[in-house]
Amino acid sequence: MPLLPESIKQKFSISGTKVKFTEKLIAILLLISALVAIGVIFSIILFLLNESIPAFIEIGITEFLLGTVWKPEGIIYGFKPLFGALPLIFGTLICTFGAMLIAIPLSIGSAIFIAELAPVWLKAIAKPAIELLAGIPSIVYGFFGLVVLIPWIQNTFNITSAEGWLSGSIILAIMAIPTITSVAEDSITSVPQHFKEGSLALGATKWQTISKVVIPSSLSGITAAIILGIGRAIGETMAVIMVTGNAANIPILTDPFSPVKTLTGAIAIEMGEAPHGSIWQHSLFGLAFILLIITLVVNLIAYYVLKKLREKHLASSSKIDKKKNLILSLKILQKIKRHLNIIILCISILLILWIFGILVAGFLGLIIVGFYLIRKKITAKNSQRIAFILITTCVLIVVAFLVIILQDIIANGIGALSLDFITQSPRSLGRSGGIFPAIVGTFYLAGGAILIALPIGVFSAIYLTEYTREGKLTKIIRMGADLLNGTPSIVFGLFGLAVFLYILGLPRCMLAGQITLAFMILPTIIRTTEEALKAVPQSLREGSYALGATRWQTIRRVVLPPSTPGIMTGSILGLGRAAGETAPILFIAVIFSSRFLPNSVFQPVSALPYHLYILATTVPNSKTNQYGTALVLLIVVLLLYLTAILIRNRYRKKVRW
Amino acid sequence: MTNKMEVKKLNLWYGKVQALYDVDMPVKQHKVTSIIGPSGCGKSTLIRCLNRMNDIIPLCRIEGSVYLDAKDIYGKNMDVVDVRKKVGMVFQKPNPFPKSVYENIAYGSRVAGISNKKKLDEIVESSLKEAFLWDEVSERLNESAMGLSGGQQQRLCIARALAIKPEVILMDEPCSALDPIATAKIEDLIYKLKQKYTVIIVTHNMQQAARVSDNAAYMYLGKLIEFGETKQIFENPKEELTENYITGRFG
Repeated sequence: MPLLPESIKQKFSISGTKVKFTEKLIAILLLISALVAIGVIFSIILFLLNESIPAFIEIGITEFLLGTVWKPEGIIYGFKPLFGALPLIFGTLICTFGAMLIAIPLSIGSAIFIAELAPVWLKAIAKPAIELLAGIPSIVYGFFGLVVLIPWIQNTFNITSAEGWLSGSIILAIMAIPTITSVAEDSITSVPQHFKEGSLALGATKWQTISKVVIPSSLSGITAAIILGIGRAIGETMAVIMVTGNAANIPILTDPFSPVKTLTGAIAIEMGEAPHGSIWQHSLFGLAFILLIITLVVNLIAYYVLKKLREKHLASSSKIDKKKNLILSLKILQKIKRHLNIIILCISILLILWIFGILVAGFLGLIIVGFYLIRKKITAKNSQRIAFILITTCVLIVVAFLVIILQDIIANGIGALSLDFITQSPRSLGRSGGIFPAIVGTFYLAGGAILIALPIGVFSAIYLTEYTREGKLTKIIRMGADLLNGTPSIVFGLFGLAVFLYILGLPRCMLAGQITLAFMILPTIIRTTEEALKAVPQSLREGSYALGATRWQTIRRVVLPPSTPGIMTGSILGLGRAAGETAPILFIAVIFSSRFLPNSVFQPVSALPYHLYILATTVPNSKTNQYGTALVLLIVVLLLYLTAILIRNRYRKKVRW
Repeated sequence: MTNKMEVKKLNLWYGKVQALYDVDMPVKQHKVTSIIGPSGCGKSTLIRCLNRMNDIIPLCRIEGSVYLDAKDIYGKNMDVVDVRKKVGMVFQKPNPFPKSVYENIAYGSRVAGISNKKKLDEIVESSLKEAFLWDEVSERLNESAMGLSGGQQQRLCIARALAIKPEVILMDEPCSALDPIATAKIEDLIYKLKQKYTVIIVTHNMQQAARVSDNAAYMYLGKLIEFGETKQIFENPKEELTENYITGRFG
């Protein structure tokens, strides 16, 4: 029985008309927040399109999409500019593809390990650790790639320049692994215990149970995890531009060190060079639009795949009747399906052949064919042994990656840390002095963003869960929030540029950055708040209504208090993300090496990630301070994430409805 | 009459909490043995020890022995997978896999390495017939097992357990989630199963224990209080605790 304290009961007895008025006002307020949320989503698409249409018209859509040469700087240097985005599209695709080739097996292996094989104590550490690592700002990965990975590859393999698609893929993979692992692990863990028991009780080994029951049952979650990883990789900007070489060539598959430029890279680098209002600049908005479409397509595919997978698990005889008409095509499909493994195998061997030459491919092919032939002869126990060894290898590789990165940044950064470093202004372009303005600037930006996003996000979520029935409006808002969530951060940057600087005529300033970051974290806040509100049991609401409370009174006094920790977790995650992002504020809010704090929101600020980016890419002989900045950024963001995780875990343990 | 299984001095802890105390219990071959007792007395814990299902629970520690054909299943050279192939289990809530009816039954054989389609077809058909489910599902073998009724799902789980040709079948309150008609069908089935198999059943329902079992064990607070022929336990219990429970004076 839900119990309400006597005090609440008394507080409800205010005069009727006043209550009615407040109720109406609040309902309208909430609706406005929800509409703002939708407005943001559609205005992003609108403004991007508005800015890119001149480019589409002047260049021509076919030339823009299929042209093979990207040479926009011609409009400045006087030769004929060429706007073929194909090299950039391929650049994005190959980096993403390479990253997934590395990240998917490693992440799934680690997820299986954490969910099914790790002992309890290890799981208790590994799970939050992975979530924490998912919060590392991408600029830190890019920085590591630039100062450690690339020199290492160059020295080890004796190459003049390792800046190319392989380095981009590796960095993107390392960046995506924690995200994919964390989401996949959640879905593997949530497979009901009784499925596992059922399988074990039939004499299946642990590995058979994992591969035949657990993985198929959690396939939709694993797919979602992979899609999330792909989305992150496609939309990543800062980590990529620091390691790919940024030459707009069609990537050469056979040369993993051939430099490429991605869509995001072209936008981030060229936006500063392109004259305002030129066709070059419009074409960059066009690139952002292409990027948005690609992420949209990826998300739609994900949505479709997940729907299919879910349907497969739900029995429905009517659907099977319908299928009887399609039995022929189904049979063909099944045949293809049965040979799908072999087809994929052939394709990947061909790919490897193309890239690494005949020796490696032939060797791999032989191993796989050999394995395929003796597969039937391997006992269940031995195949379990092989599988567990492979999984453990995955985990070790992932741990090694992460330990090397963290160790490198901590060991090299700790020397730079001092009281002066965090309280002084930078001198000599950041080579000496401190980073005080950047630290404060980061907090200004992230704090401002959360102040704007929190009310809108929380109110929209309340409107969604408490004031509407599931219908068209909720569907649109939710779809919009998901869409916004998958939108690359640089797209938000362009949106801010178009709206605040071009249309509203603001200068490069803090306010523009805060609002843009707010839009970026809005979906996170809406989603986490919604989940927190939904977790409050219906019986509590009914108990309050039964005592004569109105809707808003019920929400304020009964629903909101227990969901506060959930909302806080969401906000802190948003705060962390806003503090670590560089791409959205690149063109609209930040300046490098500022010695002063801004006096008002209409002045630009310094920010940690941007400071690190400029130091690492353009200021020679600043290594100590680069590492120092990276470490401070890492500490700030990870502390925020840690707080969020701790609040959530505490709350999870305490509240059992 | 030989003992198919025998529990000897079995102690079990979940973390620091002891759940079983020095349990000794024989299980006669081709008989139905029921385990009864109030909630939380350790019935389910005990039956899960018989095919080492408790192994998968973290922090669970076991001392003592359980013999299957005079071999300790907790012995050093025993393989847990082999134990589970010989000792099948049916759970409280029907737990078919989210696969087709056919794949559910074939699962155990497939993991045991049988992939011949004809052989699998035979196993599926015979197991379903043995569980008296064949007539009801033979037309929908390729549909998802999740679409069957609760009673059919539970018989599917029994058929699934029979498909791997076990020697002992453990049933952990197999009827607690079912209506009276479905329960009657399962009880019928248990009665027929004992011709070929040794059955151990945990039940809350004392009439059920009286109807289906040959031997009965009464448990209370993790201890086995009394073991004997079902008739004797119900009509003439030796222990006062048993009598209180049987007659409903338990409180």
